[in-house]
Amino acid sequence: MHHLLTFNIIDQIRSLGWPGAFSLLRNGLVLGSLYALIALGYTMVYGILKLLNFAHGDIYMVGAFIGYGVLVAFGGALSPTIPIVPLIILMFAVSMAGSGFLGVAVERVAYRPLRNGPKIAPLISALGVAFFLESSVQLLTNSAHYLYNGYQLGGKNGNFGPLLNPVFTVDGIPVTVVQTLVILTAIALMGVLVYLVYRTKFGKAMRAVAFDREAAAMMGIDTDRIISMTFFIGSVLAGAAGVMYGLYLGDTYFFLGFLFGLKAFTAAVVGGIGSIPGAMLGGILIGLAESFSTGYVGGQWSELVVFGLLIGFLIVRPTGLLGSHAIQKV
Amino acid sequence: MLKKVGVVAVLAALCSVVVATTAWGSAKPRTLAAATGSVKCGKKVTIGVAYPETGPAATLGTPQWDWANFAKSSWNKSHKLKIAFTRGDTVLAGNNPQAVQVAHAFASNGKILAVTGPAGSQEMEDTASVWKKAGIGPVSGSETRVALTRALSGTPRETTPGYFFRTVPNDGQQGDNVATFIHSVLKKKNVRIIDDEEAYSQGLSLQVKNDLQADGVTVTTDHISQQNPDYNSVITAIPSSTQLVYIPWQVPAMAQQFFSQLRANGDKQLVMGSDGTDDPSTFKGAGSYVSGFPVDTSSSALKSFQKAHNGDPETFGLPTYTSVMVNATAINKACKAGHGKTTRTAVRKAVAKVKLSKSVSLLGFPVQFLKGNAGKFQGPGDMGGKSSFGIYQIQKNGAYKRVG
Repeated sequence: MHHLLTFNIIDQIRSLGWPGAFSLLRNGLVLGSLYALIALGYTMVYGILKLLNFAHGDIYMVGAFIGYGVLVAFGGALSPTIPIVPLIILMFAVSMAGSGFLGVAVERVAYRPLRNGPKIAPLISALGVAFFLESSVQLLTNSAHYLYNGYQLGGKNGNFGPLLNPVFTVDGIPVTVVQTLVILTAIALMGVLVYLVYRTKFGKAMRAVAFDREAAAMMGIDTDRIISMTFFIGSVLAGAAGVMYGLYLGDTYFFLGFLFGLKAFTAAVVGGIGSIPGAMLGGILIGLAESFSTGYVGGQWSELVVFGLLIGFLIVRPTGLLGSHAIQKV
Repeated sequence: MLKKVGVVAVLAALCSVVVATTAWGSAKPRTLAAATGSVKCGKKVTIGVAYPETGPAATLGTPQWDWANFAKSSWNKSHKLKIAFTRGDTVLAGNNPQAVQVAHAFASNGKILAVTGPAGSQEMEDTASVWKKAGIGPVSGSETRVALTRALSGTPRETTPGYFFRTVPNDGQQGDNVATFIHSVLKKKNVRIIDDEEAYSQGLSLQVKNDLQADGVTVTTDHISQQNPDYNSVITAIPSSTQLVYIPWQVPAMAQQFFSQLRANGDKQLVMGSDGTDDPSTFKGAGSYVSGFPVDTSSSALKSFQKAHNGDPETFGLPTYTSVMVNATAINKACKAGHGKTTRTAVRKAVAKVKLSKSVSLLGFPVQFLKGNAGKFQGPGDMGGKSSFGIYQIQKNGAYKRVG
């Protein structure tokens, strides 16, 4: 059986050739950029509160819906009432702000009251919030799927618009504007985050809270504010990922955050949960693993590979690629 | 202290045993009583509707519930004996124990005379014994597995004749139509089939694959999770010799997105969807094909439904409308025959004899259930006569034109 699979994989690699390999690399990088942005939210919250915020995937889903709402408010992809560049900027701005405030609200209502309770309590609360958000959106949207039709944005008579124009091609395989937009926006946002965390006073306070919350409070840091801001920033990134997802993949519905959230969580674990560069690296790795396993082995294997990586890392290297062992003070 | 705790624990355990025994003792007779007992019809009778109300498959359950409600209001407007629903959430995706729970709940609810649903073939297989014991013959609007009504070589029939009906043609009928169209009309020699890893999709894929291969067509296959919206890598893996990609999926938005991503990747293959993707308001890939019910799009009922649902025909749920109509008609007849009283058995037998005209079924053909095997794939509980699928081509303006 496994011989047969090996031969099939080799055959598939040969038949797809270099263009196929580049195509899978491109797909993996774009998908990985989305995972990385979402993974950052998981890792930041874990870093500061040691909480696995399972509602984060659903904040990303809400972000995708907010972006869709803005798109529709301005005429939709097929007949936008304003030029597409300001429209896309507006979609990002509103979705990022909306998701950010949702993240803060979730922290304030569902996590803060449990902060000094048993460790399991916020985790269960996080699951509750995830189901609450999913069910709320399900009721609001009547379980329907909503299409961004991002490929047609700015196109005439329903034809593909400028988002599908090739920026460059390799071996006949185009890298389109929307794919470049996703990768570059993700890099830019991650750059801003790294600057914020490692080069500003706020970032220093954030790292101090992550290192020792009580000591940070004694040093005069408003830990509640820092935690709220962490949720805000993580959720802002998820909102941006939601709009990028919408423009690139398009099919938005209430259950969207579940699998994407789990994969982004896997990316955070693979990269080293709590590590910001780790989340970025993990996201890209998971995106590539998914893309290459789908292309070379078959679509039914992609989740097995992704979650196999999760199990493998938890067993062999629980700190992930860039995580480090925490020294427990006794 | 320890002694007190021990006494409390023993008392609690005793209470649990008493409660459990009472519940067990009462549940069985309740189910049996509900199965055989006579029910006064009065002014309103109850139909159980089992469908995925929550979870990822709620997207499929919602059209079913919407159409069921549309059937209820249509029926109640024109009949003295009104119908009411009791709903049961089967969740569907990978959660058959939930379907079994719903079946038990319906079985022990003496008010329920007939059942519309469940939604998935695997759910019916797992609950068949519960329904039979309760005297119910569910009428499903979406279970398409052939083996539910017909024993095939190596596969026994999965339900007892007379205890399962469906208002949707089965995979064998649809698959046969699709394969014949691809091979004989479109004359394609290389086909890629991508299923969405759900029972509906896999059953149909296998049927079409077998039929095409029997006709000498080269078939390659792939799979994609229904929850994975990124088809780019699946598209990359499509062999360059492929002429047509068949996607028997259940969500029209997925089909539209697949079509867009395929074209965005510069691939020119034809796309063909199944009845699950048959939705002119969503799947608009010009030049693509879908198989679907020959619905009369000019019918006032369909227009009225669309008007009430933002123009969306929610075609996947249409056979659930027919299923409710079948159940309501059967209950009405059984109540009349029993002079205001009836039993589940009487209703189940009446279901087998129901005849709905084309204009009432809305499916594009009249409904009447088979009593024996017919053709290569149909058996008792399947619709006989002209029940089948049409093949439609999607025009540039998004309209569906019947071509087969």
